[in-house]
Amino acid sequence: MHWINWVIVAVYLVVVVFDGLRRTRGTTNIEGYFLANRSLPWWAVGLSVMATQLSAVTLIGTTGQGATDGLKFVQFYFGLPIAMVILGVTLVPFLHGAKVYTAYEYLERRFDPKTRSLTSLLFLLSRGMSCGTIIAAPSVVLSSIFGWDLTWCVALIGVPTIIYTVLGGVQAVAWADVKQMFVIAGAMMAIIIALIVRMPIPLDDALHIAGAAGRLQVFDFSFDLSKTYTFWSGILGGTFLMLSYFGTDQSQVQRYLAAKSVDEARSSLLMSAYWKIPLQALILLTGVLVFLFYLFQPAPLLYNPRHSAQVQQQEPALFADLQSRYAAAIAVRQAAAREAASVRHTGTDAAVRGSLEAFRASEAGVTAIRTEALSAAERASGESSRDVNYIIPRFVLDNLPLGFAGIFLAAVLAAAMSSIAAELNSLSTATVVDFYQRWFRRSESDAHYLNVSKMATAVWGIFACVVATYAATLGSLIEVVNRFGSFFYGSILGVFLLAMIPRVRAPGAFVGLLSGMAAVGAVAIWVPSVSFLWHNLIGAAVVVAVGLVLSLGGRAPDQPARREGRTSTV
Amino acid sequence: MTPPVRTTLWRVLSIQFVTLVLLWLLQTHYAS
Repeated sequence: MHWINWVIVAVYLVVVVFDGLRRTRGTTNIEGYFLANRSLPWWAVGLSVMATQLSAVTLIGTTGQGATDGLKFVQFYFGLPIAMVILGVTLVPFLHGAKVYTAYEYLERRFDPKTRSLTSLLFLLSRGMSCGTIIAAPSVVLSSIFGWDLTWCVALIGVPTIIYTVLGGVQAVAWADVKQMFVIAGAMMAIIIALIVRMPIPLDDALHIAGAAGRLQVFDFSFDLSKTYTFWSGILGGTFLMLSYFGTDQSQVQRYLAAKSVDEARSSLLMSAYWKIPLQALILLTGVLVFLFYLFQPAPLLYNPRHSAQVQQQEPALFADLQSRYAAAIAVRQAAAREAASVRHTGTDAAVRGSLEAFRASEAGVTAIRTEALSAAERASGESSRDVNYIIPRFVLDNLPLGFAGIFLAAVLAAAMSSIAAELNSLSTATVVDFYQRWFRRSESDAHYLNVSKMATAVWGIFACVVATYAATLGSLIEVVNRFGSFFYGSILGVFLLAMIPRVRAPGAFVGLLSGMAAVGAVAIWVPSVSFLWHNLIGAAVVVAVGLVLSLGGRAPDQPARREGRTSTV
Repeated sequence: MTPPVRTTLWRVLSIQFVTLVLLWLLQTHYAS
């Protein structure tokens, strides 16, 4: 990589770490360290929430998905604004008003210690491991693209993040998120402008071709439980997923607990609701533009350079054959695309339809050869050859002017670091508040808890880096943990919903939680065709049903936390 | 719900509606 690109990356890293160190001044107790003394303005919390969700996988994987599958993935986010509005009037006032450090702490006040400890433990198990995968995903891509050792890539992302998160706590994390969000948005805008400027045909014609290739298909109204991305799975399943994520996941809850007031917390979530769908649509559209760009430029046969080299080395004859057939198919597709673009202005309706049909046939030819190449890559490397995550990095490095690679790499680091920092901060909070302080040392000094919190953040950071370094070896374990995680997301939401129903008692909530997890596990194992987006809805529904049935006949108990929650103005 | 939050809420709903309409127009205009 050119030294100018390195300077851009270095400036970004220095600014983020230096700013984190500057923020250590306000953190002399754990309320400052974990909740910024509940002093953050709504717009900073909102940008922080957005940056936390926008991980490196979103930046490189979602754009790649836009290039291969088009815009339909945006349906996944249709439930987000609905979830944010529901949370704004339900859970946010409860949690913010209860003056808790963790969402799970509220469950002890409402129910009992075991419900709190189990939900917090489930959070630590799943998030601890997923934090490793958040570092691993971009590290593997950078390692393959630049030919660097994986350990160095993990260190490049993990070490600066650990430094500013350990030293500055949530203050450093939230304000770094704000800057990182601007870096990410700036890089995306730069890439989109470069793509539009470099498109060899007018944008209107290019989009016409994208439409013919199915890349602009957004809405799928079929009610099919086995399809992951449909309008209904987005609106119903997506709403419950987002409710679970933003309402019960400590990494998100902690952001709005740090807001100045309930109204500021609400506004921060609504800000995220504002921009999520337009932002995701823009990210996917970037991928569509990259697809269009490669219609007129030589596209790589395999976007992962390591896989490409392995196939070339192990099956040289096949690789040469694939390359020559691919070049020919690309030439045919380019001619068909140009023809479709020009006929649109001069030809009859029948001629336009014919040219688009010819383009679609040429696109199918290119896809068939790519599928063969991906199978060869899978044989040669012994791992999954899916190369969606490599499309955008390869495009930026191979085709954009000097400086863009540095801006893009800074954006990938920003996206990864903002997500990891929030996870580390929340993992440390749950460890210290829900376990260390609750079960082991109940009345130590603030300085003691602060030091333990910093140590816990560092330990989780190192753990995440180790998991990321051995991600390839731990692949199946990580998959199991992620799958296990999806079993209880909706169930935990169910417990929080039960907490808002006065008559529900602690045993009902606890047994409901276990039943919900078991029900989702059973659906995942015995009815695997049901898409994961429905799991959250099923889990939450079972928990609420079981909790209500087991609490039948109960009277509303005295609930101090609930009363505090009601002090806000809904 | 306080007036500023209510205003924000209406803005959220409006932006989502406009975005969905734009995506629908993009899909239908370039469908072939």
